[in-house]
Amino acid sequence: MAEPELLLDSNIRLWVVLPIVFITFLVGVIRHYVSILLQSDKKLTLEQVSDSQVLIRSRILRENGKYIPKQSFLMRKFYFNNQEDGFFKNTKRKVVPPSPMTDPSMLTDMMKGNVTNVLPMILIGGWINWTFSGFVTTKVPFPLTLRFKPMLQQGIELLSLDASWVSSASWYFLNVFGLRSMYSLILGQDNGADQSRIMQEQMSGAAMAMPADTNKAFKAEWEALELTDHQWALENIEEELMSRELDLDGMFSKELPTGIF
Amino acid sequence: RANVLIIVLTEMRDKLRKWREDNHRNSEQIVDVGEELINEHASKLGDDIWIIYEQVMIAALDCSRDDLAWTCLQELKRQFPGSQRVKRLAGMRLEALEKYEDASKQYDSILQDDPTNTAARKRKISILKAQGKSAEAIRELNEYLEQFVGDQEAWHELSELYINEHDYGKAAFCLEELMMTNPHNHLYCEQYAEVKYTQGGLENLELSRKYFAQALKLNNRNMRALFGLYMSASHIAASPKVNATVKKANVKYATWATNQINRAYQVSYARCLL
Repeated sequence: MAEPELLLDSNIRLWVVLPIVFITFLVGVIRHYVSILLQSDKKLTLEQVSDSQVLIRSRILRENGKYIPKQSFLMRKFYFNNQEDGFFKNTKRKVVPPSPMTDPSMLTDMMKGNVTNVLPMILIGGWINWTFSGFVTTKVPFPLTLRFKPMLQQGIELLSLDASWVSSASWYFLNVFGLRSMYSLILGQDNGADQSRIMQEQMSGAAMAMPADTNKAFKAEWEALELTDHQWALENIEEELMSRELDLDGMFSKELPTGIF
Repeated sequence: RANVLIIVLTEMRDKLRKWREDNHRNSEQIVDVGEELINEHASKLGDDIWIIYEQVMIAALDCSRDDLAWTCLQELKRQFPGSQRVKRLAGMRLEALEKYEDASKQYDSILQDDPTNTAARKRKISILKAQGKSAEAIRELNEYLEQFVGDQEAWHELSELYINEHDYGKAAFCLEELMMTNPHNHLYCEQYAEVKYTQGGLENLELSRKYFAQALKLNNRNMRALFGLYMSASHIAASPKVNATVKKANVKYATWATNQINRAYQVSYARCLL
């Protein structure tokens, strides 16, 4: 049974669909700049900086240790992992897990995050629902079950209407998530208008360890380094190199950029 | 005529930006271009002017143009009072005037406010180097690197200092750090190979040969590495301590290197004829 296709008034397109897009976009841009203004400086201690660099060095040792001679690799592995005085074995940092209740700066950060992101979304969603209610806005291109009807057809009281026809509120929410790529195009990566990213961060942040948990990071690095072996990349370098003639193209030419590093 | 001016202006600005991004230290050119930009067209540069002031100031210090450096510094101080970046520039100017005590005090005050400021610590070490106190410079640099293990510029500086002191073992250690963080940089491999070659001894010569080969593999046109390969291979072959197989292998390597060197000479000869 083919549903008779509804023909929507083109005024709807002009006065509802496009304005909602603009509103969402502009609100996003405003949110980005507001979040920049409200950003609090995060000061890192010397110890934190130092520790993060040590972790990076250990990771590099694991990944690229094959480019240095075996002796040097073992020397460094020993320095990190030695039973008695290895760095990872011995260094214990005072770990204070910052819980939102005790740490005041975390609390204000969370509040700011909520205010800039969730609140406007709710407010504007509600306003749009109130202003642009009572008519069908658009049709989603895929079929939906009847269960979606109360959610997506907020102001429309038609029992027989196909669930694919949605109201303006759902168009608004569609925009909020859809304009994410537009934001990264215009505001650059890592912008404050990116709601879904923020929500993702909130969810994973609860599960992830805080940066103050360096002890765990050290332990993880220690284990990883124990497992690493030294496969010297230069074992057969001469055979590899001399299997063919050197490519001297462009040598001594002025166009060759001779950058130092 | 106004259009021509604008074109010239943007050209000069772009040149300065390119030099800034590529970290060129062509100070005389920077002073030439920068001075004209600052004196004639300051108003048209907008917010770029501050970073240009910084760039021109450092170049002016290199060329002993204290007048120009002073002007730039005053402008920056007026715009950004209390900025640590500007304080560091003031310290550099004091260094250029050889007022090392005052410069050191300046950097100490920056470090009091912000102990993680790497720029100030590195400047203090360069003061020691400028005063010829290499042992102290080495010690300070080692302490710095203990805290900031990831600072590649510092590792390279330390390797240079050790080479000057003929402490090749430690220089090799620093270069190993650099090779690990930049496995595709043929110059670090080549420097490491040269240090190993200088250290001497059969094991080190073999290592140096291998790393010359690696440098060559990463960049086929590295002539120095090619010569290094030839020299280390022939050195090993000529040594009385090696057995026949090793000798034969090294002779083969040296011959291959000779052939490549001859080819390179032919390429350069052909270029000269063109």
